[in-house]
Amino acid sequence: MKNMWFRLAMMALFCCASLLSVPVNAQQEFPVVSRTLKNGMKVLVQTDHSIPNVALYIFYRVGSRNEGAGTTGLSHFFEHMMFNGAKKYGPGELDKVMEANGGSNNAYTTRDVTVYQDWFPRSALPLIYDIEADRIQNLSFDPQKIKSEREVVASERRLRTDNDNGGLLDEQLWATAYLAHPYQWPVVGWMSDIEHWTIDQLKHHFEMGYSPNNATMVVAGDASPEEIFQLCEKYIESIPTHAPPPPVVTVESEQLGERRLIVRKPSQLPLVLVAYHIPQTKSADFYAINVLRTVLFQGESSRMYQRLVDKDQIALDVSSSVEPAFDPTIIEIAVQPKQNVDPQKCEKAMYEEFENVRNTPVSDTELEKAKNIRLAEFYREMRTINGRANTIGTYEVFFGDYTKLFDAAKNYSAVTKADVQRVAKAYFGANNRTVATLIPENADEKAKP
Amino acid sequence: MIRSQRFLQAFTLAAALQILCSFASAQTLHIPPHEKYVLKNGLTVLLLEKRGVPLINFYAIVKTGAAADPAGEEGLASITAGLLRKGTKNRTAQQFSADLDYIGGTFESEAGPDFSSVSAEFLTKDLDRGVNLFADALLHPTFSKEEADKLLAQALDGVRGAKDDPQQVLGYYYDGYLYGTHPYGRPAGGDELSLTNIQRESITSFYETNYAPGNTVLAVAGEFNAAEMRPKLEDVFGAWTARSVKPALIPTASPVKTRRLLLVDKVDATQTYFALGNVGVARNDPDRVPIRVVNTIFGGRFTSELNEALRVESGYSYGASSFFDSRKAPGPFGIFSFTKNETTAPAIDKALEVLQKLHKDGVTEEQLKSAKSYIKGQFPPNIETSRQLAQIIATHEFYGLGDDEINQLEARVDAVTPEAARQVIQKHFPAENLVFVLIGKASEIGPAVKKYAEKQDARPISEPGFWPPPQKK
Repeated sequence: MKNMWFRLAMMALFCCASLLSVPVNAQQEFPVVSRTLKNGMKVLVQTDHSIPNVALYIFYRVGSRNEGAGTTGLSHFFEHMMFNGAKKYGPGELDKVMEANGGSNNAYTTRDVTVYQDWFPRSALPLIYDIEADRIQNLSFDPQKIKSEREVVASERRLRTDNDNGGLLDEQLWATAYLAHPYQWPVVGWMSDIEHWTIDQLKHHFEMGYSPNNATMVVAGDASPEEIFQLCEKYIESIPTHAPPPPVVTVESEQLGERRLIVRKPSQLPLVLVAYHIPQTKSADFYAINVLRTVLFQGESSRMYQRLVDKDQIALDVSSSVEPAFDPTIIEIAVQPKQNVDPQKCEKAMYEEFENVRNTPVSDTELEKAKNIRLAEFYREMRTINGRANTIGTYEVFFGDYTKLFDAAKNYSAVTKADVQRVAKAYFGANNRTVATLIPENADEKAKP
Repeated sequence: MIRSQRFLQAFTLAAALQILCSFASAQTLHIPPHEKYVLKNGLTVLLLEKRGVPLINFYAIVKTGAAADPAGEEGLASITAGLLRKGTKNRTAQQFSADLDYIGGTFESEAGPDFSSVSAEFLTKDLDRGVNLFADALLHPTFSKEEADKLLAQALDGVRGAKDDPQQVLGYYYDGYLYGTHPYGRPAGGDELSLTNIQRESITSFYETNYAPGNTVLAVAGEFNAAEMRPKLEDVFGAWTARSVKPALIPTASPVKTRRLLLVDKVDATQTYFALGNVGVARNDPDRVPIRVVNTIFGGRFTSELNEALRVESGYSYGASSFFDSRKAPGPFGIFSFTKNETTAPAIDKALEVLQKLHKDGVTEEQLKSAKSYIKGQFPPNIETSRQLAQIIATHEFYGLGDDEINQLEARVDAVTPEAARQVIQKHFPAENLVFVLIGKASEIGPAVKKYAEKQDARPISEPGFWPPPQKK
């Protein structure tokens, strides 16, 4: 999850929700009640009394794709500022009050969305709504807080990017795979932009992204739809709506040939990241791509693991990731070569495996396995109130309708071997890829001409 | 708690378990009823039925962990656990993976300081295949030379790769520098030299010696019927041959009586990662609940004193926290944070100031009240899944803790008085005697950190091993 940026270093259950397959009766198993408030905010409630707690997620459809040169990282910085004081709950009070009432919180920002999360005992329900309403309407921008929070975000950037080989290479991969579209810059922002945002830019971002009709609220856990809707009426519904962010009009042109980049730095192991452009989450090809991804990358029986890690023994690990996206995105493949293995050797083996799935259909067993894995993963995500809130929200926001979550079984069942082969041919060719390689360079080598 | 602890990936499984088990609420929540019985061969079985989603979790504890690794062969327990699925009497490694993945199952095996663990998860409909796979790995591994060599080579590069990320290895250096040659000072995953010393014979001998039914606790939790589960388990695990195992004894380490500092040089670091502290407490320490409450206030949540000082007020760091990684014998206590090179000393000064303030001012009534509510309110999601429950009942069994650990915890948390808080601060939070471990760019931060201790040690991160520097065997 390199591309998610957090208020806190907490890795909650962030699923690639879009990959799930579900049993036919899942909609009855996990009933969701929805209502759209008068100000346009959609509210989804999934009631479950197994623990006396609630997970509340608010998804705002604003992320780093809504930024521009000079303000990269503003969405993520803004996410941090959402905890730094409003009218009723001043600087530092939000966290203090929430924790004193048994609650905790976090937030994450991606290229597409900014998501706020509260986890709390049901006794804190009214308080949480009071807090959320306060900061959505009356956020304050204290110059002192902006100053110290800027340092916090710079520290976060050093942690996840500058001092992390994977983070560093990932940033350059996206910047190379995209020439035009705003997905090219990092969610956390370039360091020089982090140092220079202004209060006015923050205020503008708030006005642009934080309209109720640009948000979806998901509540899972020990609360009934009726009580949630009552709380919404009391605290949220009167918040005035305004224009959502202007549409992102830039379309990335088709890639016409392989792009390569190299990072040299002191390091014990090399690293390879490979990106292929694929369509946005809503695309009909999404299911076939995920089946292919499972066959190639998931588990130790996957083709890539078998080839690179087990048979050739040139890599320690190979994995792939795709994040939900509004616009055409990339699948990112990470290969961790062993020490002193030429990264290109890993590339060659991987490309041969891609060649195989382009030329020959995957087996029935592989197709069946992929569907079984998706089913088990559905239950792994849906077994906690936190996983449910995130998954339901992700489907609502990225597929346009939470009920798509319950259609996924049907959509996965419909995927054929021919579909898998077709997407392998369509998206996994050399001209469509970007390759980023980290090459270890030790201090003494640096001195050489 | 979790958010700050999560930084410390290297602080081993025991730390993770502690997070799961330490917070409790008795008012509305109890650990679901479960049963315990012992098979004729000595295997302890724990069964817990939990409805909700059709998943079943297996969690086995083999009561010997990395603390039993022979000196010079650190990583042996971990490699042994890692090889369980890499070839059995009935399946090659490849067949095992194919069978496991086909049913969407998961399988993990690893070694922490106190014990080794083997866990798996299956859909309820695949229970028979799942039990069979799980038992095959636990009871019938073959440890082929080929697979052992492969895994050892991977583990070796795994250590090298981890050293590219200071967060991943800070815990190993810290444990090593704090405990020295005590078993808790050994890196559970091994190091660049120890892994080259491990031979197949050591692995099979470690397995034969320690993987025995009498030395194992097996917990099964999830959506199943206990009456149907019992004969299935009896069938598969009843055939496991009984062997006597000498229990692993871990001596109690004394707290460090002085100050010392280890600076691990990473030439390209733009940020310093640091841990400081001393030996903490054992898992069954009678003060564990008041310690939890005080540590929540001190460094165990977002509004903790440490995070307020190092993040919220100063912007020195993205996060600062403190932890008690309590184990069978007293485990480490530490304060952890990171900051850019220029603010290394100011950030450490600030952390020390917060620690001194804790000793001087203690905690307020208001803080106590807030921390109690926080612990109780955040607890229920820790016993939400069968995966968590299997792990909790097994570890409680291992550490000799009962269900009251959870069922009475709310009452115990509520019972913590200001006086009890004062006492645990004095008794369990170090004041002057501290061990410091820093990973950062020595040429930039070295001079500023001289002041923290007279005794100073240094190592480049690229040199094999952690601390003490390993000797060639």
